[in-house]
Amino acid sequence: MPAEPHDATPRIERALVAPGHDGSAELLLRIRYGDGSSDSVTLDAAAAERLLDQCGATALEQLVGQPWRRLLNVLEQSGD
Amino acid sequence: MDLIIRNGRIVDGTGLPAYQGDIGIRDGRIVSVGGRIPGTATEEIDAAGRVVAPGFIDPHTHFDVQLLWDGQARPALEHGITTVVPGNCSLSLAPLKVEHRPRLVGMFQQIEEMPDAAFDGAFEWTWESFADYLTALRSKLAVNVAPLAGHSVIRLWVMGDAANERAANADEIAGMQELLRQCLEAGAVGLSTSFVDVDERLQPVPSRYAHAEEIDALAAVLGEYGRMLQVVPEFYATDITLARVDQLAELSLKHQIPTTFSPLFDSAANPDNISRVMARVEEQMARGARVWPQVQTRPIDISFTFEVASLLFAGTPGWYRTMRLPRDEKIAALRDPERLARLLEEAEPGGNTDRFRKMRVRAVARREDDGLVGRSLGDIAAERDSTPARVMVDIALANDLDASFVATDLGHNDPARVGALLAHPMVHIGASDGGAHIQSFATYGDTGYLFSRFVRERHDLTLEAAVKKITADTARIWGIAGRGLLQPGFAADITVFDPDVIDRGDEVVAHDMPEAGMRYVRGSRGIYTVVVNGAVAWSAAAGGYTEARQGQVVTR
Repeated sequence: MPAEPHDATPRIERALVAPGHDGSAELLLRIRYGDGSSDSVTLDAAAAERLLDQCGATALEQLVGQPWRRLLNVLEQSGD
Repeated sequence: MDLIIRNGRIVDGTGLPAYQGDIGIRDGRIVSVGGRIPGTATEEIDAAGRVVAPGFIDPHTHFDVQLLWDGQARPALEHGITTVVPGNCSLSLAPLKVEHRPRLVGMFQQIEEMPDAAFDGAFEWTWESFADYLTALRSKLAVNVAPLAGHSVIRLWVMGDAANERAANADEIAGMQELLRQCLEAGAVGLSTSFVDVDERLQPVPSRYAHAEEIDALAAVLGEYGRMLQVVPEFYATDITLARVDQLAELSLKHQIPTTFSPLFDSAANPDNISRVMARVEEQMARGARVWPQVQTRPIDISFTFEVASLLFAGTPGWYRTMRLPRDEKIAALRDPERLARLLEEAEPGGNTDRFRKMRVRAVARREDDGLVGRSLGDIAAERDSTPARVMVDIALANDLDASFVATDLGHNDPARVGALLAHPMVHIGASDGGAHIQSFATYGDTGYLFSRFVRERHDLTLEAAVKKITADTARIWGIAGRGLLQPGFAADITVFDPDVIDRGDEVVAHDMPEAGMRYVRGSRGIYTVVVNGAVAWSAAAGGYTEARQGQVVTR
């Protein structure tokens, strides 16, 4: 069996504010996975607030490096 | 002849070079194009120095409700739009059982920001079926309508409350197929569905509970009629959008239907999105699939108030923290000189006012501040010998936080990238959302902006190519027969404009919704005459809108 990578946890690699289609600002997160691949996820203002709170972050830069589990919790709370 | 438009520069929608000539119209149809038409007509228009083009077609609107009290779809008509496609994003006003009306109103209010008054007394609900809805519309129309039937309301009709709870069973899918068939027979131009939208309870709209087999079954019905499937994909995630492109391509090939998805827009935060999606579209189109991405012309603005914390402030943690405070504490913080001084230094470090200088006042509660609406914070600051951030706070506090501001051109705003995208032969220009988001921004004038920005200023498209994109191409993509070209036998939908002037006007507040409800609008510039089915429906020379009501449901 191949050994597990040292840290296979997907983590937030980048957090940017982006314009949303409906004229509101959104939070665009890039997630880097343990296998090296990446994807992006967009949060609305309310979900972004919850994520910042959950991470104890006061600035977007502090989201970088946070594990994806935090994000999952936030998305589960959003009800969709 | 009923009408002759003389001496115009005819841009006929084919994309071929413009030429001089007259256009003759009788009984709502074009009977002669080019050359000098002898004799006279009941009405004649001199179009010397102006372009005569087919009326523009807007393929992504939400005028469903507005059309019931405003058959002119103001202000779309004055921008040269002669045909609108309502019913996008899984939402249409029919088919709809009486008991489901509150649900639909909630969805429209959540997704399209339609106010209560738009539904409450502004029109009479006289229909349940799609056919009866079209009957209610027909006598009012000054513009043409090519309506979509919404997947969410079809689901609601067949499944009731379960539409928001689960996948459909075989009987329910069969019921939806039959209902869709009735809509298409009545004149629906296709089916719209959404994988994204939420209702007023922030729960997924009914269409989002559909499994792939349900969408496949409905697409099969569309295939019986060769009609359109419109989709809102997960546009915020490129990988999922790619999967949707593949899904649409399979449906298109299997059922021989056109499909379109919207929106697709460019953002500096996700710079690979456009190239990746378009590469997949090209790949699928090469297989013979019809998967048309809709791209808007206008850049994206972001609005905000001090009432809620906008992510626009996330880059300035002190401001973001303050914005997230409870209302009273927030006001106290902004009134505290020391705390405000710290916020101002964070917003304008070392006197650099770039962050807020170009932002504009969008709306105010106090009458005495009406004159500030539309002006930039930099402009107001100069007048008050202040700074942009300071005047923003002053205006917010003076209006008890009931003031809104707008940061313009924040997304889809790289003109070279957007221009190249709009000119791409596989891009369908649309996604205006006309008639939606009415209290956030103006969704009108995208066609004027296409000509002013991407034809006249940047030359990304020729005049002829731009006209073709929003007339003949649109009609062909959607299967709207007999429109989109200036040719004998075609419907006389015609827009006359000055190519050196055509543009969208400034965004302004209007109180022209039912019960003086507010919305943002833009007037047009450089449009001279708009003809719908042979009747002059808007004329600058005649002072604007006319009494003509020659609009039709163009799919029947």
